[in-house]
Amino acid sequence: MRKYTIRRIFMAVVTLLVVACLTFILMNAIPGNPWLSEKAPSQATIDALNAKYGLDQPVPVQMVKYLGNILHGDFGTSIKMQKNRAVLSIIMEMFPVSAKIGSIALLWAVLVGVPLGCLAAFKRGTWVDSLLRIVCTLGISMPGFVVATILLHTLCGGISGVKVFPALFDGSAKSYVLPCLALGFYPMCYLSRQTRTAMLDSINQEYIKTAKAKGLKNNKIIFKHALRNALIPVITYLGPQIAFTLCGGLVVERVFSIPGLGRYFIQSIQNRDYPVIMGTTIFLATFIIIMNLVVDLCYKLVDPRINLSNGGH
Amino acid sequence: MAENKRYKKFGSLQPNVDDIMKWNAELPENAFEPATSEEKENFIQDRKSVSYWKDAWRRLRKNTVAMVALAIIIILTLFAFVGPMVVPYTYKQQIRGSEALGLSHYTYEDIQAIHAYIEEHTGTGVLSPDEAVEQARAEAEANGKKLSRIEEAKIRAQASVNAESSEAEEETITESQAAKELGLKKKPFGYSEKELERKASGEKVFPHVFGTDDQGRDIMVRVMVGTRVSITVGICAALLVLIIGAVYGSISGYCGGAVDAVMQRIVEMIYSIPEMLIILLLSATLKPALEQFQNSGNGILQKLVTILGPNLISMFIAFGLLYWVTMSRIIRGQILQLKQQEYVTAARALGAKGGRIIRRHLLPNCIGQIVTTTFLQIPSAIFLESFLSFVGVGVSAPLTSLGSMCSEALSGLNTYPYRLFIPAVILSLMILSLNLFGDGLRDALDPRLKK
Repeated sequence: MRKYTIRRIFMAVVTLLVVACLTFILMNAIPGNPWLSEKAPSQATIDALNAKYGLDQPVPVQMVKYLGNILHGDFGTSIKMQKNRAVLSIIMEMFPVSAKIGSIALLWAVLVGVPLGCLAAFKRGTWVDSLLRIVCTLGISMPGFVVATILLHTLCGGISGVKVFPALFDGSAKSYVLPCLALGFYPMCYLSRQTRTAMLDSINQEYIKTAKAKGLKNNKIIFKHALRNALIPVITYLGPQIAFTLCGGLVVERVFSIPGLGRYFIQSIQNRDYPVIMGTTIFLATFIIIMNLVVDLCYKLVDPRINLSNGGH
Repeated sequence: MAENKRYKKFGSLQPNVDDIMKWNAELPENAFEPATSEEKENFIQDRKSVSYWKDAWRRLRKNTVAMVALAIIIILTLFAFVGPMVVPYTYKQQIRGSEALGLSHYTYEDIQAIHAYIEEHTGTGVLSPDEAVEQARAEAEANGKKLSRIEEAKIRAQASVNAESSEAEEETITESQAAKELGLKKKPFGYSEKELERKASGEKVFPHVFGTDDQGRDIMVRVMVGTRVSITVGICAALLVLIIGAVYGSISGYCGGAVDAVMQRIVEMIYSIPEMLIILLLSATLKPALEQFQNSGNGILQKLVTILGPNLISMFIAFGLLYWVTMSRIIRGQILQLKQQEYVTAARALGAKGGRIIRRHLLPNCIGQIVTTTFLQIPSAIFLESFLSFVGVGVSAPLTSLGSMCSEALSGLNTYPYRLFIPAVILSLMILSLNLFGDGLRDALDPRLKK
């Protein structure tokens, strides 16, 4: 376990480093320099500016410097969107909104998806199973923006007389409902499908038969014996779902005009605000990689049978 | 021919026929002659031999859901690739005079009736006080009478009241109200008034089935082209993933040992990189570089960049860099199992090289998995493309895709909901049927996996 943990953390750090370097190299490959404007500055001015911002040094030196700055929490400053504001402070302002929506969405996805998956597995072959399968297949086939816009149109005043939720995000509890619903729909369907498969695997095991033979009640069999083992593979899907939810947030934030980090990220790409793009990418990548790491380590904790120290085989 | 076959080929395990004849004297002379076609026909087979693909197709045909999905896929493909040839408009053609048409229209006669009704009930249809008096005088003269002043004043007052009330009415009367009063109903498809005139004069005019957008572009053609873009992107991405994943996975699985360990560490790392972020990053950074390249000359490559647009290229680069890992993992897993089989050992003992074993023995044996994974890559690529187009970093204008159409329609959602829902429904339907068919394909090609 210890060996695995260390190896896994090491891999995460390497991945992070690769992402950071990739980001930096890509940003450096952009043609042109930041000083180009309508009035072309003189060569002397450019040199002076380059010297001031350390752009006259070779690229590897710049890269090391940039990475060092990031470790100190210095992501640079925005050059276009909110001029001269530190990128980190922008991220810190926007991220909590995105994180809140993302975590609520994921929470309801797990709380609804897993029980639905169990239900489908236990009612296998009945109309409940078929209905759930149709809904879930539909759910994983609809891109996030379709779900979001359908909700927006039907429940926010598109149909006359039906206006349950505000169309514009104002931070109130009511305005959180639809974005979270839309964002959590895909993970919910995905998790419920995975749970169904895992549950079917686990209820065909011998120990479930034993439990039944001993006269245990159905509820106890499901929740005490089958579910616990069925949940193990489901946990593995949570890691990618966290990343997906965070990135799916880009769309939901655009549809519901939520002032979150995802929407800001897209805007910064459209406005070519490079320091913001770099900072946000590295920040989000770090978050996702750490979350994946945590999920993987939890997986190992929950299921000690699996020996992962030699690559999971 | 028969003589040639007797002699063994170099490297073949088949024994030499002449040697066998020499060792077994009692064998008849023609023991090793190939069968004639007559003999072949007379040989009765118990059961027709069924090839792998035929068997899979038979299983697939029994799967109703998969067959319905296949039918939808075929219809959508025809819609996307044949449709634009049938419709006389193009996706970037802005038709003047038919901007923002809806899904339905009034026929030419109905429109004229509506106009007449509106005119009748608004200012122009009502006489002003002076005109009313004039008219009344003329009427009275025709009858040989003269109007008294009091009568004239009465008429004047009546007319001005009429005019006032109609003025108030003028603001409220609309086309739809007029149609309601007249009991007229809209017919499906959008036509502009000009087009209706042309149609009334006997010309054949193709309707705007899904209406037009604010710039007068036919939405149906745009949906067709968008579907075409989605399908093309999906297939290209899947092929790219297949090639890279198959090569990487088979080398990693076949070589094993240190090579495998290093290659798997790389895969693990790529696996934990958030792809979506990298794609967004790539599209942000490659765009200026590609635009510069695009303007640098007029070669084939530059034209290719112009056609695809910088965003699509960065998407393909991201697919090539990041998305093959799942495929390579699956192929590696299969090959790890298969390479322990006896026929691989036999091939190796006969001196076959690694590349040949992979190509001739290992990959054909995991074809079922490869086909399924490649096929299921198509909907996920379409999903991703629509996502990127929706947030504005997908295909670039004037080319369109279903995702960017949805994105354009978002601002007018409450007025023109169908502009968003038509592409959205087609997109969802396409991904759904591709997913369902992919599942069916997996069950048919790999019955062991069936749950």
